[in-house]
Parts: sequence; C-alpha cells; structure tokens
Amino acid sequence: MALTAPYVTNYLTQHFADDAFGQVDGYVARGGYEAARQAITRMAPDEVANLVKDAGLQGRGGAGFGAGLKWTFMPKGTDKPKYLVCNADESEPGSFKDRILMERGPHQMLEGILIAAWATGAEKTFIYIRGEYAFAATQLERAIEEAYSRGYLGSRVMGTGLSHDVVLVRGAGAYICGEETGLLESLEGKKGQPRKKPPFPAQYGAFGMPTTVNNVETFSHVPHIVKNGKEWFRGIGTEKSPGTTIFGVSGHVVRPGLYELPLGTKLDEIVFEHAGGVPDGKRVKGVIPGGMSMPILPAGQLDVPMANEFLRERKSMLGTGGIMVMDETTCMVRVGCVISWFFRDESCGQCTQCREGTGWMNKILNRIERGAGTRDDLDVLLDVAGKMEGATICAFSDAAAWPVQGLLRHFRDDFEAHVRAQKCPFPASFEL
Amino acid sequence: MVNVTIDGVAYEVQDGRTILQALDDLGLLMNGVDVPHYCWHPKLSIDGSCRLCQVEVKGQPKLQIACNTVVANGMEIITANERVQKAREGVMELLLVNHPLDCPICDQAGECKLQDYAYEYGLAHARTKEPRRPLKKRADLGPTILLDQERCILCRRCVRFTREISKTSELSVMSRGDRSTIEILPDRPLENDYSMNVADICPVGALTTKDFRFKIRVWFLEERPGVCTGCANGCNIHLGVANNQVYRYVPRRNDAVNDTWMCDEGRMSYKRIAAPDRIREPMLRGASGGLASAKLDAAIAAAAAKLRAVTSGGAGVVAALASAHATNEDLFVLRRFCEALGTQTLGVAVPIGRADELLIKAEKAANGAGARALGFEDVQGVADRLKAGAVRALIVLGNDALAALGGEAALAKLECVILLDTHHSPLERAADVVFPARVVAEKLGTLTNHAGRVQRAEPAVEPAFEAFAEGEILTRIGQALGLAGFAPGWRYDAREVSKLMGEVVPAFAGCDVDSVGDEGRPLADAATPPRGAGAR
Amino acid sequence: MEKFPKKRGALLAALHIAQAEHGWISPALAKTLAALFEIEPIEVLEVVSFYNMFYDRPQGRHHVYVCTNLPCSLRGARGLLRALESHLGVRAGETTADGRVTLGHEECLGACAYAPMLRVGEAYHENLDVEQAKRLVDALE
Repeated sequence: MALTAPYVTNYLTQHFADDAFGQVDGYVARGGYEAARQAITRMAPDEVANLVKDAGLQGRGGAGFGAGLKWTFMPKGTDKPKYLVCNADESEPGSFKDRILMERGPHQMLEGILIAAWATGAEKTFIYIRGEYAFAATQLERAIEEAYSRGYLGSRVMGTGLSHDVVLVRGAGAYICGEETGLLESLEGKKGQPRKKPPFPAQYGAFGMPTTVNNVETFSHVPHIVKNGKEWFRGIGTEKSPGTTIFGVSGHVVRPGLYELPLGTKLDEIVFEHAGGVPDGKRVKGVIPGGMSMPILPAGQLDVPMANEFLRERKSMLGTGGIMVMDETTCMVRVGCVISWFFRDESCGQCTQCREGTGWMNKILNRIERGAGTRDDLDVLLDVAGKMEGATICAFSDAAAWPVQGLLRHFRDDFEAHVRAQKCPFPASFEL
Repeated sequence: MVNVTIDGVAYEVQDGRTILQALDDLGLLMNGVDVPHYCWHPKLSIDGSCRLCQVEVKGQPKLQIACNTVVANGMEIITANERVQKAREGVMELLLVNHPLDCPICDQAGECKLQDYAYEYGLAHARTKEPRRPLKKRADLGPTILLDQERCILCRRCVRFTREISKTSELSVMSRGDRSTIEILPDRPLENDYSMNVADICPVGALTTKDFRFKIRVWFLEERPGVCTGCANGCNIHLGVANNQVYRYVPRRNDAVNDTWMCDEGRMSYKRIAAPDRIREPMLRGASGGLASAKLDAAIAAAAAKLRAVTSGGAGVVAALASAHATNEDLFVLRRFCEALGTQTLGVAVPIGRADELLIKAEKAANGAGARALGFEDVQGVADRLKAGAVRALIVLGNDALAALGGEAALAKLECVILLDTHHSPLERAADVVFPARVVAEKLGTLTNHAGRVQRAEPAVEPAFEAFAEGEILTRIGQALGLAGFAPGWRYDAREVSKLMGEVVPAFAGCDVDSVGDEGRPLADAATPPRGAGAR
Repeated sequence: MEKFPKKRGALLAALHIAQAEHGWISPALAKTLAALFEIEPIEVLEVVSFYNMFYDRPQGRHHVYVCTNLPCSLRGARGLLRALESHLGVRAGETTADGRVTLGHEECLGACAYAPMLRVGEAYHENLDVEQAKRLVDALE
C-alpha cells in the first residue's frame, strides 16, 4: 500500500524504489546513521545548529522558516526537559510528500531527528502523525522499534552519552493540528486549538516545556546536510532557497505523482515536462503552486521558479509544493467552493474573523455558483478576505483568505460570468 | 514599574501586566481609554479569541491584541486610529453575520455589549445576504440559566467561569469552526452556587437568567449601588430598581470583597424585600391575647410604658438582642439606648449555615461583625440570664435569637417582649409590641462584613407600607422614656447617627456612611472583631 | 500513558483504542475515560466533537470516506461519491439501514496523485473509477 517511488528522485528519495531502504539494515547499508554518528561524536551541538542554519534549510512544512535558526531558539542552560516535535500531520490539500518520506524513508527522518536532538538538547521527540495515515504510522512504529533495538534511540545512542526517546502519536482528523501550537494542544490530549503567541513553543511548548516543531521533510534533509556540508547543500536550488523539495503534482496532468527536484525549478517545467502536461490536448487554465492555501497562478504566469522569493513576487508562495493543475474546462468558482468549504470545515472556531469569515465566504461562493450572485458579492468577498488577514491567533485565517483573493485576482471573469448568466457557464467543468 | 504611553499620554504601569490589565489597574478601561473587548475579563484567564481588542503598538507591523500583549518600557500604544477602527469594524461585522436580530425580544437589550460596540465601532448596515445558522434558542441549561446558542459569540467566558471560578466544569464548546456551540452534558446541568454569574459575564443575550426573563427592560431600571445581605461576605451589588421595586441584584465589582461575583442565593435574596411575609404595621397584643394592628404612636407609648414599669426597680432586668441583619447605625442606637436605660445584658444571635471556599460565609446575615464590634456578644449570655430568671423584659431586633433563647415557651415568662423585625416569625407569638422594621435596601446605613470591612447601604426603595429603621423606632422609644441622649423633638437621621458613631466608637473612626466610599473601608481597629460562635 | 509528561497526552490514543472496540464514544465510555484521565466527561466529549475520526453516535460497521477535496474533485471524486450514494441508498453522512456502511466525504487524505480515492477504515483505495468503487463497497461485510 505504500506509495511508489517518485518519478524524479534526488538525495532524499533516490533509494525509495528499494524496499530495503525503509528497513534499518537496508538504511545502514546505504550509509544510514553515519551523519548522526558524525554529528554526535565529532561536533558540538551549537556547531550542528549553525551548520544547518548556515546551509539555509527552510522549513518544509509550508511556512518556510529557517530550520537551523529555529533550533537556536531553544533555551540553553535550563533544567526543564526539552522536546522536539515532528509535524507529520500533513493535511494540506495537494500535498502527499511527507507520506512517502515516512512510508519509504522512516529511518532517514529518524536520523534527522536524532541530529536535531543533539543540536538542541532535546530529550524526547513526539512524532505527531495524522490519524488517517495508518500505513505510514505502522512503518514508523516498525522503524522506531528497529532504531531502539539497534541502539540508535534510547539511552546511550550509538554508545554515546546522548539519550533520546521517540514517541509516535496519532492525530484524529483535524487539519488545524498541523499548525504548530494546534498540534501541541492536540498532543496534550485536548482540542487542537492553536495557542496565543507569545509565548512561542521554544519558551512554552509541549506540556509547557521548551519545544521545537519541524516538518517530516525538514528533518529528512538534515542527515544529508551534515554528511555533505553546507556548500554542497547551497549548490542545489537557489541562493535563498537551497536544497530540493518533493513536489506533488495532481489534478489535470498526464503523470500525477511525486517529483523531487531542486527548489527554483520552474513551475511550467514541472507541469509540462516532468508531469506530462495537461491530458487530452487541453490547455492549462490555472495552477495552484504550493498546496491549497497558496494563491492560484494563471496560465500565463507559470514560468516562475518554484522558490519563495520568486513566488512571492507573483503573490503566491511555495507552501508545501503541492502543485494542482486545472485545465481549460475548470470553473474557478467551483474551485472556490471546494476550497472555501475546506477552510470552513477545518477552522477551529476560536477567532471571530476565521470562524465567521470562512463560513460567510463559503456561503457567498456557493450562492454565486448556483447563479444567485450579484456584482457586489464579489466586492464583499474580497473585503471579507481582507478582514481575515493578519489579525488572528494563527495563520489559518490568512490561509483561508489567500486562495479567494488569488481566484478573484486572476479569474474574476469566471465570477462575473456567473453573475451575468445567473448560473454556472462552465458545464464541462468538474462536477461539484 | 514600566513607563508606557497610551494615545500619547504617559503612564507608569506595573511590570508584567498586559495592556488591558494595565488600563484596568489604572481605572481607565472603557472609562477614558476605550478598548472594546469581549473574551477578556479581569477575573478570568486570557482567551484572545474575539480579536476585538486589537490596538496599534508602535514598532509592530500587525495590530496586537491588548489582552495578551505585556507592557514593556517605552511601549507606545495607540487605541484609536483608522487602522484600529477598521479592525474593529471587521470583527463587529463578522460577529453579526450569524447573530440573530433578536434585540426586540432579547433581555440583554440595553446592556448588550454587541449592541454597544456595533453602534460605536461597527458598520451602519449589514452586508450579509446569507441565512443565519439555526441553533437551540431556549436551551434549558439548568435551574437558573437559559442558553440561546444563536446569539452566542463564542467568547468562552462562561466556559472559563465554570472551569476556573465555580470549578464545576458544566459548560464546554463542542465541535469546531462555525458549528461550534456551547453545550452541557444531558446528565450534568449547569447547577452550582454561582451559576447565575454566567449571565452577567455573557456580553450578549445568549446566557440569561430565568428569574429576570422578560420582566422589565433594563433601561427602565435605575442601578443603585448596595450590598447583598445574604451572608457576612457583603458582596457589592447593584439593585435594579424601577417603580419603587427591586427587580434584580447584580454583582458590583469590588476586588477586596467579591471581585465581580456573587452567589445565586444572595442574588435571589432581593425577593425578601417585597416578600408577602413582611411586617407591614405596628402591632400590639390586646387583652384578648391576640396581636392587633396599632398606630405607631400608640405602639411607641405602649412600649415605653411597659419598659418604665419593668425598670422601676432598676434596668438590669432588661435584656436587648441586636440583629445581625440591621445596620451599624441601628445597632449603635440600640447600644446607646441600653447604656442610657442602664442595662448591660446585651447579645446577638447570628444564623449560621454552610460556607465555601469562594464567597459564601457561614454567617447568614450581613452585619454579625458589626454587632460584635459594637459590643454585642454571643446570645448565650443573655440566654443564660433568661434561664436564671434574671430577665423581665426583652427588646429584640430580628428573630434569629428565638431558638437560642429557648423558644416561645421561655419568652412567655417575660413581662414584656418588644420585637422590631422585618418579616413575620414565630417570635411574634411571644411579643407584646411588634414594630415593622426596614430592610437594608430601604434605609441608609453601613454594614460590617466578615473581614471587618464597613460598607455603605443606600435606600433603593420605599416600603409600600409602614416600616422604620430600627434606629428610628428605638429613638422614638428613648425619647418617650426621656432617656439621656434621646432629646425630644429630634428627627431620626441615619447620617447624623453614623457620624456620631464614627466619633464615639474608636473602631468606626472614619467609617461613617459618608466616609466609607463606594468600596468600603476596614474598621479602624486593626484586629478583626471578635468572632461569634460558629463563624468561619 | 507513561510516554507522556502529563497523562492526558494519551487521551487521543485511548479514544482510538476505545473506538476501535466500540465503534463510537458513548456517554458511558466518556465517563470511564474521564475517570482514567482524571478529567470531566465533558472534556472527553468536547475532544470527540472536535476531531473527524471520533464519533459520538453509533456508526456503521465500515466507514467509507471519499475524499472530495480539490485534486480529487478535479478528477471526478464528487461524481463517484454521488454514485455511491445512489448505490447504497444513503446520503453522505448517513449509515445504511442494515448498519453495514457509513458513507461520508472527507478532506484531503494525502493521495492527490491517485485520485479519485476513498478510505475504508484505515485502508486507502486509490485510482478508483465508479465501478471499482461499487464493487469494493459491495464486498464489505
């Protein structure tokens, strides 16, 4: 049931076609855990953190925050227990890269965790995996057991003075538990409602203790950085966004699937060359570049390098690299309905703007799609989206607003056509 | 202490406080510096979800919520500019998207924070065309509270109250997103000693009390400051008065006494003011043995005559019992009366009940401490003298002493029992003269709570029948007897009595009715007054 | 529970286990769990109400959830769900009369390139067409 290996691989996924790579023996045979040994026995914790920081590894969970930098936020000289959390809650629509990393490369991720533990002084890692990823969870459980039995986890890791424990925790179906502090609340056995910040997890995290939360893929890059050095890492990708990422391509393409490519690879290259373009001779209409929270790009703007610094200029972001391709038949209002329903469903409900705004936007979009919309609805929609930005406990509200803004920015015609025709003028579009 | 500026004005505030807390500490919040808010409450944990309290902090790119932003030295805070106004507008509009247009039938109208802030900070018209979500509209949460889920703005104050203050955890927010609702479990209704506080803290009409439902529009009510008389805690209250009637009590904030809370029993005790068992006229026991209504002058004369007769050989045979329900002023007059009469057989009986860790005190009267501070000790002393046959006449305020004294049978042996009371009781059966007394809500005076705090009571209503402050009745009897200090022709004035009390009784120095202020003052006597039996 | 610094951390795991055995979290079950974790029953049930995978009412023997998020919808997921609705005679969110299947729709399950797809309990079934989905559902006992 595991996902098949990506169509294009690189250092993260190059061995994924080999089932043995997911087992400890196969992993070690390919040099696994050597980087961890090197870090723990020959480098000081600060050195490791600075290495990862200088390598410029951006978090791969969607926010793109510097991983090594985040590690340095952990307090030094405290006698409070410190924790790491591996955010394996991957629920961003369009993303399924963490899934394959856990199903086929669990030890690679564990090794990254081990190195991070050394760098931050964390004594325990909680891997919070979304409840629906049952198969990946069994793979992780097995890998964790193997790691313990071989001395890669537990007391005296690889015979050194480092001890580290890993606990696998299953979520139960809530997208918001992928938000750092929503995850922490869920980890503590509560509703996954994000916390007010400050305090930040490094001060008050899991169970009130200093905590660093990193994504599955972020951890997976770490052993490679330690093994090959920061110059090597910076030689891949772009200047501001080094390394590779695993793009997930879905929607109207010939070859939907996973593609590990350097950051900065152009979006049109990924869609047309690697993923085979749009099937049945149709033209592309729009592409969401980074998971459903990220604003859509129209057909004429797909020549953008896939890295934050470039995508930001086009008013979008890399997010989790979930590339969703939509062909010319696609009704963008229906897309809006699907997207807004998701955010309405998944809002935790704390903040006024998010709770009420996601509901309102969804209702307006549904009404426009049914043919009962008016022109001023479009203005209200944009205004509500604007009111949802920058003013809430977490970024979910912003993430709910951005797609609507993106759709109206590039596909306002679709909306106005609905208003004029008082029905959906795209009968060939995907069914809603 | 740190220095901050708020809207250009410099303030020194305590370190570690949030902006809202600092404004609250300064007494400026919504009282000079307006930062509208819903989920924050000075006595509950910080929530941060309503997002209404956003303010601008110089140097921060985004607006910050004032409830969760700790002050820092040099912080410049702006509470009113276009950006802040736009943010408030946004929050208000979104809150009104699903809120039903219930104002015409909602009890909260007139004291509703949604109305107030929508008016002040919101848009003038609604842009939503979407039907509002239908939810439970009259959910019976328990014996005291109704919930209208459609009106709820999910500020979660009520949930936090049941977890942090009453510690009973009946309420919760279920589900998520715009399907979130306040719920109870069917087998665990909202039922605790403080349940009605949730209606106070609910900014809208989602949580309302069954007792007040549809009774009167709040804009007809005059909210008079006062003190609850249910127990010795003396929770500060507002009495909601209209048509010379008290319609409700609500707590009034006093951080030294009751924070912002009061117990349900105390809250409902307003019903005692106009209760049907009030004594509505003076009464005299006639020759036939029954009590008959009498004019005040006749009753005064009768009481004076009886006392004159009994004390012809010396006043030591008179015992006087104070009531822990009467004001300090009433009891001061009683003390002066006894001194002038020449008896030292004094006492007070205080009813005792259950107490708790929060506000409820064991003494179920407001002024036990006041009685003790004015020299009235436990009733047992009087009861002993009564049993020993050393008492021939009893002046008794209130009826709590009946059991301690040995019941009606014991009192039947006395030649003269003069009762001053507010409500009918079995003690009347032993009384020769009964005077109708005023309850605290009907007179001016002070009460001393369990911690020795003297607090002011003001008359909120006039009784619809004859009733007088105990002090006034005793003054008239004293005048009739020609007692020293009871100059004839002087009209009883509680304020003058209070002032005199402050001058004459060291403990009450500076604690007269005009000096205690709105939040009361501790007795001048540093040591707490002597405890009565059974007091906590 | 010992794996967590505070035992309440194990609540989600306990709910998964309880549900695997009982199918849903009844008020009685909530009371038992509450006592175990030294919290109030309502705190257990508010957690149940928050998460998609926990149920506060009886369910069918099999959960069939079709992902209807964007990548799946682009490839016909909603038509597939409708076909299953009419095939089973229930709307999404309902359980068949014989208690065999609870049909539902779900948000992104992380199988976007293999759309449309559904999950039956813990198992993913990807790259489906309507006929395959119907056969799959019929095979469930």
